[in-house]
Amino acid sequence: MVDNDKLVDGIGRRTYLGGIATGAAAGLAGCASGNTADGLEVLHGWTGGDGADAIETLTDAFEEEHSDIDGTFEAVGGDGNVELNTSILQRLTNENPMSSFANWPGNNLERYEGVLMDLEEDVWEAEGLKENMQDRAVELCTFNGQMPAVPIGSHRLNNLFYNTAAFDEAGIDAEDLGSTSDLLDALETIDQDTDYVPFAHGMRSAFLGLQTWVQILASQSGVDAYTDFIEGDGDRDAMIDALETLQEIQENYITDDASAIGYTQAAQNLISDEAACIHGGNWLYGMFRADDDFNYGEEWDWIPFPGTEGVYFYHLDAFVTPGDNPSPEETVEWQKFVGTQEAQIEFNNLKGSVPLRTDIESDELADFLKMTYEDLLDSDEYPPTLAHGLAVEPEQQNDCEGAIGDHFMDPYDAEAAADGLLDAVSE
Amino acid sequence: MATHDTTEATDSTTGPSKEVVTWKTKLRYFLNSDFVRSSPYWGIPFVLMGIAVYGGIGYNLAISFTDYAGIGRPEFSNLSLEMYRTALADGSFRQAAFQNFVLLVGFTSVSLALGLFLAVLLDYGIRYKETIQTIYLLPMALSFVVTAQVWLWMYSPGNGVLNVFVTALGFGSIDWLGNPRIALAAVIFALVWQFSGYAMVVFLAGLQSLPSDQFEAAKVDGASTAKTYIRIIIPQLKQASVGAAVVLMLFALKAFDFLYAITGDYRPPNGTDILATLMVREAFQYGQWAYGAAIATMLLLLSLSVIAPYLVYQYRQGAL
Repeated sequence: MVDNDKLVDGIGRRTYLGGIATGAAAGLAGCASGNTADGLEVLHGWTGGDGADAIETLTDAFEEEHSDIDGTFEAVGGDGNVELNTSILQRLTNENPMSSFANWPGNNLERYEGVLMDLEEDVWEAEGLKENMQDRAVELCTFNGQMPAVPIGSHRLNNLFYNTAAFDEAGIDAEDLGSTSDLLDALETIDQDTDYVPFAHGMRSAFLGLQTWVQILASQSGVDAYTDFIEGDGDRDAMIDALETLQEIQENYITDDASAIGYTQAAQNLISDEAACIHGGNWLYGMFRADDDFNYGEEWDWIPFPGTEGVYFYHLDAFVTPGDNPSPEETVEWQKFVGTQEAQIEFNNLKGSVPLRTDIESDELADFLKMTYEDLLDSDEYPPTLAHGLAVEPEQQNDCEGAIGDHFMDPYDAEAAADGLLDAVSE
Repeated sequence: MATHDTTEATDSTTGPSKEVVTWKTKLRYFLNSDFVRSSPYWGIPFVLMGIAVYGGIGYNLAISFTDYAGIGRPEFSNLSLEMYRTALADGSFRQAAFQNFVLLVGFTSVSLALGLFLAVLLDYGIRYKETIQTIYLLPMALSFVVTAQVWLWMYSPGNGVLNVFVTALGFGSIDWLGNPRIALAAVIFALVWQFSGYAMVVFLAGLQSLPSDQFEAAKVDGASTAKTYIRIIIPQLKQASVGAAVVLMLFALKAFDFLYAITGDYRPPNGTDILATLMVREAFQYGQWAYGAAIATMLLLLSLSVIAPYLVYQYRQGAL
């Protein structure tokens, strides 16, 4: 019997089985613990650049104020929050929620329907945030009668950043650009009279074309044409007109490598004095600011996207709270902190976005942000962005990107793209 | 134990007692057999593998019959083929399946042809054989992610290496990955670059295992080198070809990593969407778990349809 229990050479059977059992126990323990952490666990997508600096400052300030809370702040990388959203979806599906995560509120919250925690009483009312946050932010953080999110910052989408040297050389006064036809004329002048690439534009991801199309549609046919579209009642002719304008820009005034680059590389063309202007959210300001030789009012300047004066295209970053929360008390403290003046100023000054609280002295913000903040508080209209989760449900947004990706990334088919966009929002 | 056995043996003159003894003896033999005694070594991995792989496949199949979407648990009370019908009616699915097929056929056939050509060259005894062999095999050591980044630079419409040559020849810059008409061909080319070395090694091993007297006999009969390879040598590489083709086809079916690394997004360059990218996009971006599971099941069936003829071939050859 003894001989049967032992291998002549190698490990014994009992040793082997013991090892297997130990390994299995360790494996099961690992599976059981999953990704959960003790205390507060916050996921976000700011892995580098100004976003990483901003979240680090925010979390340092929180930890300093709440030294009794053991916080884990985990960055999940990937373009456009792809990996972050996947990670959140998987964990919530596996009933392994984190304490809080950074995401867009508004219609984007549809993807987490039924598993969110209501913070209305413990955070919004307890801290008086409803009175101190901008109405549009309060509205976008309300979902199915609950308030599961607290906003941290807003970016404006309808911007045209321009290289002052390029515009000077072409003899263009940016303040004169009041429509897309003015913009097209200016791009043609720059193309003819200078060596600058007229319009820096990334086409690696379809959302970049989508967000530029939205600006053109609002500019050419008014904000109502855009809001009608996102409500499923778009004017096909107006949409096609806007697509054709985008086609004209993409065919004539952008770099040869546009299809291979994203917005960061496109913005780099402006910084390196190769391109004349760029459209994008004011997160681009965060990039410009990082270069000491590229300063606001000197090397670059800003106007609202031509034809959208008085409009603030609304982007919103927020921290969202899942239900069945692993650390409800710590999470409430975290969300209260996110809504404070201190958090909003510290975070947004570094992130290049603006606070949502209405009671902040604009002098607390950098010059460019001060101007954006004043526009946030005092614009005529606040349409939600399409490519950043606020305007339509996630799958509709993805289908809109698909319509641009499938029909408008060269070769161009404006009619098919318009039909695809209309189908997407009518689902 | 021994006494008891003796008693039973004594009683074994009658039929039923004899059966009891036989049954117990058989059980004892069975328990002492190599099969049972070795079971802790193969049984545990077998069970773990069964649960992790085949359990996963089974669960995926079960989900594909539901309408599971979003956050929550799947509901198995109402199973149907709805997701499969939806997929077959969906233009995106059909396009991804077609592009997957083109990738499968294009990548596999070009890799095999190039691999065979290189193997014949090396086998013929050209100079620096080992160095060339290493150069061609090296890309296979790279991950899809690295290959994707390398080719992203190579294909860059602005300053990519390929466009430097193209423009030097007087042509306009080509948007290799941005133009949906040629994007899939560009992806196939990059994958061929990575895997033709593998095909080369497989063919080379096959060539070198052939007895040299066949070459000599052909030479004596006056056959040219080209004719020797085409008529005598290459037909004998059938088994190596089938093996290499199966491996390459499976790589083509799971080229998700490469396409994902190109854009950093679940939506690959226009014109290069394949079933794997569509499946991941539907499941992990949109939370359409049942639809994603149905696509995954069809991808599995496609993989099995690739590998099944190979297994049958191997079986008929007596290799299984």
